[in-house]
Amino acid sequence: MKHNISIRVNSNEYLVEADSNRTLLDVLREDLKFTGVKDGCKAGECGACSVILNGEIVNSCLVLAIEADGADILTIEGLANGDELHPIQKAFVEEGAIQCGFCTPGMIMSAKNLLDKTNNHPTSEEVREAIRGNYCRCTGYKKIEKAIFTAANMLEDNQNGRS
Amino acid sequence: MEDLKLQNPNGDSNYNIGKSVPRVDGVMKATGEVKYLPDIEMQGMLYGKILRSKEPHAIIKEIDISQATKLPGVRAVITGKNISTRKYSFIPNLADKEILCIDKVRFIGDEIAAVAADTNEIAENAIRLITVSYESLPAVFDPIEAMDSDRVLVHEGKKTNVAATFTKSFGDIEKGFSESDYIFEDVFETARQSHCCMETRGCIAKYDLSGKVTIWMPTQLQHRSRKQISDATGISTGNIRIINTPIGGAFGSKVVMDTKVPIAIELSKLTNRPIKFTNTREDEFTSSRARYSFKIKLKTGVNKDGRIIAKKAEVIADNGAYCDEGTAVLSFGCAFYTVLYDAKYTSFKSSLVYTNKQPCTAFRGFGNPQMHYAFEAHLDKIAFELGIDPMEIRMINKNKNGNAIASNALITNCTFEQCIQQAAEISDFHNKRISYKEFNKNSSAIKKGIGMAAMLHTGFTTRFFGFNATDTYIKLSENGIISVISPIIELGQGGLTAVTQIVAEGIGADVKDIRIINNDSDIIPYDLGVYGSRHTFICGNAALDAAIKLKEQLLDTASQMLNCQRKDINLKNGYVVYRNNPNAQCLSIEEICDYQAFSCGRLFSAVGKYVDELAPEGAKPENYSINIPTYSFGCQVVEVEVNEKTGNIKVLKVYAVIDSGRTLNPCLAEGQMEGAIVQGLGLALKEELIINNGKVANPSFTDYKVLHAEDVPEIEVKFIESYCDEGPYGIKGIGESGLVPTAGAIANAVFNASGLLMKELPITSEKILRAMGKI
Repeated sequence: MKHNISIRVNSNEYLVEADSNRTLLDVLREDLKFTGVKDGCKAGECGACSVILNGEIVNSCLVLAIEADGADILTIEGLANGDELHPIQKAFVEEGAIQCGFCTPGMIMSAKNLLDKTNNHPTSEEVREAIRGNYCRCTGYKKIEKAIFTAANMLEDNQNGRS
Repeated sequence: MEDLKLQNPNGDSNYNIGKSVPRVDGVMKATGEVKYLPDIEMQGMLYGKILRSKEPHAIIKEIDISQATKLPGVRAVITGKNISTRKYSFIPNLADKEILCIDKVRFIGDEIAAVAADTNEIAENAIRLITVSYESLPAVFDPIEAMDSDRVLVHEGKKTNVAATFTKSFGDIEKGFSESDYIFEDVFETARQSHCCMETRGCIAKYDLSGKVTIWMPTQLQHRSRKQISDATGISTGNIRIINTPIGGAFGSKVVMDTKVPIAIELSKLTNRPIKFTNTREDEFTSSRARYSFKIKLKTGVNKDGRIIAKKAEVIADNGAYCDEGTAVLSFGCAFYTVLYDAKYTSFKSSLVYTNKQPCTAFRGFGNPQMHYAFEAHLDKIAFELGIDPMEIRMINKNKNGNAIASNALITNCTFEQCIQQAAEISDFHNKRISYKEFNKNSSAIKKGIGMAAMLHTGFTTRFFGFNATDTYIKLSENGIISVISPIIELGQGGLTAVTQIVAEGIGADVKDIRIINNDSDIIPYDLGVYGSRHTFICGNAALDAAIKLKEQLLDTASQMLNCQRKDINLKNGYVVYRNNPNAQCLSIEEICDYQAFSCGRLFSAVGKYVDELAPEGAKPENYSINIPTYSFGCQVVEVEVNEKTGNIKVLKVYAVIDSGRTLNPCLAEGQMEGAIVQGLGLALKEELIINNGKVANPSFTDYKVLHAEDVPEIEVKFIESYCDEGPYGIKGIGESGLVPTAGAIANAVFNASGLLMKELPITSEKILRAMGKI
């Protein structure tokens, strides 16, 4: 059965028609072409499809499209401000937190959610816990953890008016 | 060694070498803009699905596709009767695989039929409508059983299940044992490790009516893939074009052609549409081939003083149902086993044995991590029995500059000893061995241990193919942009960034002005591909050769423009400078290009090359000692806690010392080491593709354990900077070395903590409890 769904993605409104068995991941990637949202397992195990939905991090492959009706969603495509990278993106590039790049969008969204929730003051344990559900096969996670702290400092400096 | 050649070939100091230049593809990856294969769609594209065998070994009696063909939206259905029947394999003389099985299936997952349909869903439904009648045959899953018996033949035409053997002996090994004071024997086993690339594998193929086919896919071997596709389909390589899509993880998994490629080509031929295949995660675990598991029988003769006299390995590798990279993996394992620790007699015998299981393939380090785990664990047992310290026994037998005694392999710039010393030093190895021994006396359940494993690996691939060379073209545009046409493949290791740095350094250009074109087999120079820690080395060398030639052209024109002597000027960071005043920028590369374009009408270009001159000789069996062009050295120390109540192993810290020549980009090199070490921890402690009666029992991330962030201990990486004369700016490859010693170091730390010599990977808590006799 088809449903009309209205969702807000990266501050833009979209109307989509979706079967009841389709996931938010399917709609984001296939209908709306937000291909920065990655499909790694379709089972909520790898975190590559992580997006922020109404302020909470979710595996978009585990959310039915109809459940997201009326939701406000942030994907990796909504993070940069024009061609100005978000501090988390900047830190990932500078700290060597990216290798093949396939886990990167989901990883950055998990980092964003963490820094939002901890007001840019996460502990090491919180960082590891926040990305626990995001698998990375390339980096060994160390440089990702470092990049999240670097980003936290950059965001904190921005908040305090320093740059 | 410290007087690193801090001069580039033009005698100028380096600006870009040894710097952590941020990766050039970083922004595209951080923003999610980069399009991997699953993200690509084409006009009129159809979706492909494969029907795979549910039987491990059976005769195909009948395939009924009639219902599938009738399903609306289905555009083509094929079986082995509608496709090329020529057998193929990565190594052509071992060809044993049909694209789609005709009479017989040999593993659960073997390809039987394929469908192209308007949507993925329709294709899946169509697959369910195909019925196959099987006549089940007895199957064989254990390589030892398969080797010893011809009761079940995986390939009925062959007399045995032994697909190939690989044997090398240096000196009379039995004489060596008779000269030894003691003989030690152990048997070790390693598991199948799945690559677990985050991007699931796929391809898009489009056949056009001029007879050409274009394939979009992630691959590590662009030109060799073209050859394999040609071997399988009969289409000439001249009519096959491969566009390499950004690679979402490889680790060896994309060395060998994916069977989906010739299937997609055939479906495209039938429908005249682009055909896309994408694996599900379950497909990745069940059909995309894993690391070869080895059974390794070691026999080592030593003298009272700890000197190794003779070392012999007998290896049985589980091939699975079809040949892939097995002989190369065994040859690679042998190359290091027979050289590691300078024994007088060495011998390596191996068999690659067919079983009714998913085939295996290349995986980071080829067979070397397996061999290192076994020998390093075996060596610690020997040291323990002889009452010699683990570091001491490695020092007694260390590799040195010059020819290895047994194999005559030439080792240069050897830092084996420094690697071991540094690893012991940064980990405080000796003090911790003493303090942990004290700790363990007073601790009932938790036992602490520290262990080391040394490493010998290649610094630049092997000479396996008999040729080892490539080219690079560089051209400049009127706007000063430097286009580098290179076969460098980016699979996350930072190859694009490495070549960019080398070209920038070679020309004296700014990194930001360099663009690399590397993805089209019709454009890039011929190359073997990215594997065996070879690509930065070889593509870097060819790029540097072109860059130096181009710099000469730029300076010639600049000297005309400035009306000065060519020898008085130089290029630095995109500008011409006078040698006596290198900080004053007097002319930009852009201005030179603009002048050249609008005065002569043509611009600068150069072809660079790299040829490994010894490759043709090195590939000959009698010249095995020069099969490895250059070695890299390393040592890792691991600290663990073993909980003797639960069997749980907690890794506290990994210390890794590595010499892979000069470090081109410290941040990227550390990333290679850390990522490899974590894969090594997985191999050692968690990862195993479990196959029960031919069926993969854990085909998901829930059941197949990849390490997540909370599992990873502290890792300290230390580089020993040396200079490899053959490498661009002194570098060697570093892609694989990180995981070669890790499992051995873990096993030795566990041995130190608990006294248990763990002879089977992965070392799980269950195995610990069993070894302690608790279960």
